[in-house]
Parts: sequence; structure tokens; C-alpha cells
Amino acid sequence: MLNLLWILLGSYVVGILLPFCLPRRAEVQSLSAGVPAVVATSAGVVLGLLGLTSSGFITGSLASTIPLLAFTIRIDPLAAFFLLTISLAGLAASIYALGYVRHFDGRASVSTIGSLFNGFLCSMTLVVLADNGFFFLIAWELMSLLSYFLVVTEHEKTEVRYAGLFYLIMTHVGTAFIIVAFLILFQGAGSFSFEIFRHPNQSLPEGMRTLAFLMALIGFGTKAGIVPLHVWLPYAHPAAPSHISALMSGVMIKTAIYALIRVYFDFLGGQFPWWWGFTVLFLGATSALLGVMYALMEHDLKRLLAFHSVENIGIILLGIGAGMVFQSYGLKELAALGLLAGLYHTINHAMFKALLFLGAGSLLYATHVRNIEEYGGLLRRMPWTGVFFLVGAVSISALPPTNGFVSEWLVFQSLFLSYQLPTAFLKLMLPIAAAILALTGVLALACFAKAFGISFLALARSTQARHAEEVPAPMLVGMGLLAAFCVVLGVAPMVMLPLLDRVVAPLAGISIEGKVLAMDGWALAPVNVEFSSLSTPALSLLLMALALLGWGLAVTFGGRLRKRRYKTWSCGINLTPRMEYTATGFVQPIKRVFSTVYQPTAKLETEFLHESRYFAKRRHFEFHIEPIFEKYLYDPLVAFFTTLADRLRVIQAGSLHLYLTYIFVTLILLLLLAV
Amino acid sequence: MQVLSYSGSQLVDLCSALLLLTCFAIVAQRRLSACVDLFALQSAFLVVTTALVAYLTGNQHLYVAAALTGVIKVIIIPRVLKKVIDRLNVKRELVMYVTVPAGLLICGGLVMLAFFISQPIIPLGFLLTRDSLAIALAIVLIGLFTMIARQKAVTQLVGFLVLENGLFLGATAATYGMPLIVELGVFFDVLIATLIAGIYTNRLQDAFDSVDTNQLTVLKE
Repeated sequence: MLNLLWILLGSYVVGILLPFCLPRRAEVQSLSAGVPAVVATSAGVVLGLLGLTSSGFITGSLASTIPLLAFTIRIDPLAAFFLLTISLAGLAASIYALGYVRHFDGRASVSTIGSLFNGFLCSMTLVVLADNGFFFLIAWELMSLLSYFLVVTEHEKTEVRYAGLFYLIMTHVGTAFIIVAFLILFQGAGSFSFEIFRHPNQSLPEGMRTLAFLMALIGFGTKAGIVPLHVWLPYAHPAAPSHISALMSGVMIKTAIYALIRVYFDFLGGQFPWWWGFTVLFLGATSALLGVMYALMEHDLKRLLAFHSVENIGIILLGIGAGMVFQSYGLKELAALGLLAGLYHTINHAMFKALLFLGAGSLLYATHVRNIEEYGGLLRRMPWTGVFFLVGAVSISALPPTNGFVSEWLVFQSLFLSYQLPTAFLKLMLPIAAAILALTGVLALACFAKAFGISFLALARSTQARHAEEVPAPMLVGMGLLAAFCVVLGVAPMVMLPLLDRVVAPLAGISIEGKVLAMDGWALAPVNVEFSSLSTPALSLLLMALALLGWGLAVTFGGRLRKRRYKTWSCGINLTPRMEYTATGFVQPIKRVFSTVYQPTAKLETEFLHESRYFAKRRHFEFHIEPIFEKYLYDPLVAFFTTLADRLRVIQAGSLHLYLTYIFVTLILLLLLAV
Repeated sequence: MQVLSYSGSQLVDLCSALLLLTCFAIVAQRRLSACVDLFALQSAFLVVTTALVAYLTGNQHLYVAAALTGVIKVIIIPRVLKKVIDRLNVKRELVMYVTVPAGLLICGGLVMLAFFISQPIIPLGFLLTRDSLAIALAIVLIGLFTMIARQKAVTQLVGFLVLENGLFLGATAATYGMPLIVELGVFFDVLIATLIAGIYTNRLQDAFDSVDTNQLTVLKE
């Protein structure tokens, strides 16, 4: 298995270096980056599966000359699970990239994108494998920086540079908090080795543990995109090339989930007060709801998907938060269920979000626009992309028989099981979280009805959409792979659950595989068969049967399936795209209902013909919704620091001599103090 | 052996003192080219000191360091600086923030400060060069002071180089020299820094028609 690890890391290194060594032809360069990435991610998939199924851990270490730093690697089930997730999404993205990077030929260096892509995947892999705090931070920073460079691929655009800068600042603020969290853990352990973090010589006092909890939550929460730390996400993810967006949104933000579980359940031993779990739960519910609500108002397809990442991180945190609450009351089975639900949603989200971003990339590739108002009728022009996008949309809307449904169902179950908790407050709060989750699901469905319907159905709204063509084969293969995973993980959760149980068992201290899988694995029953159970294969069969039945009934009794040509309702006028429902129109009712949250401003300017006020020459309509967090949280903060900097500018006189004097005086004072 | 190391120690102290003396001369000197000459002289003393320490202690690698000092600081850097001065056509440093007598007094104070600071450390050492430590510190402080007190970029560069000489002496005095690889690195750093600062001075002249670093305040936002 160590050989596999070498293949994995070696291929990434080859993928980083090779694109620069070969001739400057886009095809050659994309192959030279793509093939090593495919090899490496395949090795990662195998290694992840081996790590999940084998009984022992794979460890390896390489000493360094820097004190406290050791390049230690450990593949335990938790790391293996995330390795599997990263590698699966990475595999699809690297196949996809073979076709997609042609899109950038002439605009950006294909070799640089390919090399950074490999480096980015490699750093994410190292983040989950690292078994040393220092090494982890190095990999974490590499991941942040490489993704920054990928975000600013099209740096000639102002908004891309802004997005990159925003991302860079946010991710570094997050890293600062992570470093504090690690330093607190270091205090108890006296070493940066994760092994000693797990079994410290002296346990930390309660206050320090709480501080570590909060620091880790803020630090990793920034990367994960928890509300209100999510603000960078809708800027940065759309700015990157689409296969990178797929990885950033589908996988990179998951490394934060990995780290949170690692810190709370592994380092802090799963011993914490109830309010830790409640905080996570609360943030999860807020993120889920606000994420989807903002997504709904978004008409830039990639920004819409980025907001959905905020939502799905919220759902994952709902599962994990519920698990934490149960854990602090000693309800181990339920804790395991909550964690399992969260982790299941993690891999599911990685699959369908990567799929949707790749789909968005295909639309961008074919039409060169991102605004869904300018799509329309694409299903006819790009049938495969349309089908794959539909699979992703169904998954993210949590509809059976796809994977999103299964994991959200598990999250629901773990929230409903709160009646076993001893306190009335939590007994009430968890079902409320479930209600919020239900609302989230409905809104997500509305959002993807909009995204899919407006983009793929009806008539094309723009010349680009009218002349769109199906994307090349590698891109379709990449998307098809993910779509297949979405269906497999949805129809056959009994394959995934035993693996997840191996991840959860050491963290929660109990194995629940036997209880969750009822009827020899053909049905899911969260801990208790009487409470509720679900058989996904049966459900899929039922759905198929129903569909067949409907079709059969239509054929038998309808008898009107012949094509008829008839005047439409349009009063004899030919149908034009101007008659279509727009995305803005679609979300108008929802915007009205939730206007307290959105604070919308709509402006309609009409210029009339001066002969008559019954004829408008031109109408201009614009509406935008208030970015609440940016306005009320970030802007004051920025203003505060700007004022502070202005005050401090007094000492910046611009005089070289003065600066030297500062140094000189400080030096002498320090020397005198030393004596 | 005892006698030799005692007299050797005296010799090293003498050479270090000469280094310090040239520092005062630089502070008192108004002509730029003379400042550069004095720096070359100081570096020559540094070569002698280093070679002396090498001979007395048998640390072979110090000979290399001494030779490099000779080539770089006595020959190459002064030449570069002379060229810069020729091109800039500035012979005299007219403006100083501190008058020469006041500067000398301050430098005297700095030397006292350096000795005061190193007083508790010196008896702890057992090297024959240990007494040079205070002198090295004094040279560093005076170098820094020169950078502050002078306006012309060229003299500031000389101040920087004097400071570096002090550091080198300090390294020799405290530990019989750093590992050779470190010293090589430092030499190249200083050489490159001088070249860059020389170019920068030329640019300053082009931009402001003056090498007065005070002009840089207009760059402030």
C-alpha cells in the first residue's frame, strides 16, 4: 500500500513538472497534465478504498531538520474517506480538463493551469493525510495559495482580481485562527505530532478547550464557507476555471469538514459540552437556509452553485452538529448516526456539486456566457450535458433515487431522534433545525427548477445559446462518471454505509452498521427499525414502476400521443424567446415572500414617447438584493481598519533617516534592557 | 603558549581598535571619496585582524574569509563606489543632520554604551578575541549612526558597509568566525547589496537630480 502512496505522490509531481517540459502545444500540455492526474487520482481512489477496508493504519514519516516538523503521513479510516472523496472528484475533473482547457488556449497558459491543477490536488491530498500539525499547516497553505493562483487565471478581468484578493485575505485570516487552535493544542501536548495531540501528557483546562473549539470553528469555518464567513465563496468559486471550481466547491471546502471532525472528535476526544454541538448545529441551519436563499436570487450559474455550496456545508454541519450534541449526552449510537449522515452528505455533495460545476463549465464552453437568462433551449443542442446536469440537479434537490436524497434523509432522521435527549430545549431545537432543513430542501428544488428549466428548456434566448454545440468527449466522460456515482450512491447506500461506519466507529466509539442496515442491507433503518426505515432499491423500483405505469396508462387510455399541429394560444403569432418565463420572473414570488431577508430594491425606469404616454420608448428594470453580511458586518470592519491605518500613518513620514532612527533607538533600548 | 596567546590577544585588540579609529575618521570626514578610501582602509585592518586570528587559532577557513574580505571590500566595492561618485559628480557631503563635532561626541557616547553593554558578557568568554566584542558592537552602532546622520545615499551606503564590517568583526570575536559557507553567503550578499544600492543611487540621481535621500519623502502617499 505504501507503493500506491508513492505512485500517487509521484504522479502528482510528474503532473506538476511535465507540462513545463513539453512543447507549447495546448493538446500536448493538457495531456501531460491530465494523464498524471488521472493516474494519481486513480491511485488515490484505490488507496482510499484500501484504507477504509484494511484493519491497520498506513503510516509513513520523513524527518526534517526543522524542529517540531516531521513529514508524517497516516491513513486512518477518516483520512482514507476524504482521500477517496478528493480522488473521485479529482479523477472526474482531470478527465474533464482534457477537453475543457482548450477553452483557455490563447487566453491563459494551459501548462500553468495543468501544473497548478496537479499541485492543488496534491496539496489537498496531503492536507488529509498529514499527521503533524506543522506539515498540515504547510499543506493547508499550499492548498490555499495554489487555489488562489487558479482563481486568478483570468487576471486580466478586474472582478477576477478582486475575487482573488478577497479569497486570499479571507483564507489567511482563517489560517491565522487555525494556527491559534493548533498552538493551544500544542500547549497540552508539547509537540506538533497529531499522535501526541490525541494522547497529550496533560489535558487542557476547560477554558483552553473552549478557545480551541472556537478558533477551529472560525478558522476552518472560513474555508468551509459557514455563514457569515461565506462571503468570499460566491466571488472566488465562479472566477476559477470550471474544473477548478468543481474541485474548490466540491472538495476543497470539505477539507475543512475533515479538519473539524479531526479536531473535535479525534484531538479533543469527543468530550465536549452540549453547546458546542448546538453552536455547530445553529451555524449549519443558518448556512443551509441563507445559502439556498441567496442562491435562488442568483442568475449567474456558477455563483448560484457557489451559494449552494454554502447551503450544503450547512446540511453537513447539521449532521455533524447533531452528532456532537448526542455525543455530549453519551448517546453514542445517535452520535454515530449524525456523523455518518454528515459524512455521507460530504461525499454526495462532492459528487453532485462537482458534476454541476462541470456542467456549468460545459455551458460556458459552449456559449461563453454564465448568465442563465442568456441560455434557454440547450437540451436540444446539448442533450448529454443536459441529462448529466439534470442528474446533478435532482441530486442536489434531494430527490430519490439519487444520492442527495439518502444523505439528507439520514440527517433528518438523526435530527428527529432528538426525543431521546434529556433536555427540553434541545428536544425542541433539533426538530426546528429539521424544519429549516425541510424549507431548505424545497427552496433548493425551486432553485434548480429555475436553473435547469430556464437554461435547458424552451427557446434559446441568445445567439450564443442558439449556436451552442455539444462539448467534446472527455468533458462528457468526466461528467458521466460523476453522474453515475450520484445514482450509485443513491440507489445502493448499502455499499457506502459499511465503509462510513468504519470511519465513524472509532470517533463515536460504537459501530452501528448492523443497526442501520436492516433486512440484510436492503433497507436503511436509523438505529431503530420501528422508528423509520427506507429501502432505496425498492424506492427506485417503485419510482420506475410508477413511471412505467403512467406511460402505460397514457398509451392505453390517452390515445392522443400522435403529433398534432394546431394553433397555439399565442394568437397566431410565432413563439419567440421574449414570451418565455425568465429566471427573474421565476423567483419573484419567493423574493416577495422573503423580502425581510432579501431587502430587495427594484427600480423601473420608463422613457415615454413624448407624443403619447401610452407608448414607452424604453424600459429599464433593475433589481438587486441587499448583501446583508457584507454591508453590516464586513464594511464596518473594513472601515474600522482603514481608520486605524490612517491614524497610524503619522509615523510613516517617508524619510529614510527617520526609519533608520526608529531602528537605531529600538536597538539601543533593547540592548540596554538586556543589560 | 600562554605568553603567545596573551600577546596575540593584545595584537587582535590593537587591530580592532584601529578599525574603530577609522570609524571616527569616517564620521569626521566630509569628502565622499575620502570616506570610501577610509572604508577601504578599515577593511584592510579587518583583513589583518582576521588573518591574525586565523594564525593564532589555526582556523584555516578564516584565511579564506580574510582573502575574500581583501578582494571584495578593499578592492571591488571601493572601486564601484568611486565610479558611482565620479558619475554623480558629487565630491562633498555638504548637508549633514549633525555637525561633525556633535557627531564625534555622539560616537564617543556610543562606544561607551557598547562597552557598558558588553561588560557583563566579556568575562564569560574564553576566546583570545573576546575583548574585541565591545569594539565590534561599537562599530555596528557607529555604522548605523552614520546612515542616519548623513543625507547623501553614497555615505549611507558606506555606513551600511561599516556596519557590516562591525558584524564581521563581531562574528570573528565571538566565535572565531562563522562556518565558511555562511561567510561566503554574507560576502555575496554584501557585494550584491552594494551593486544594487549603487544602481539605486544612480536612479535617484536621474529622478531627482540629487542623491539626497530626503527627496524620497515625496514618494509618500
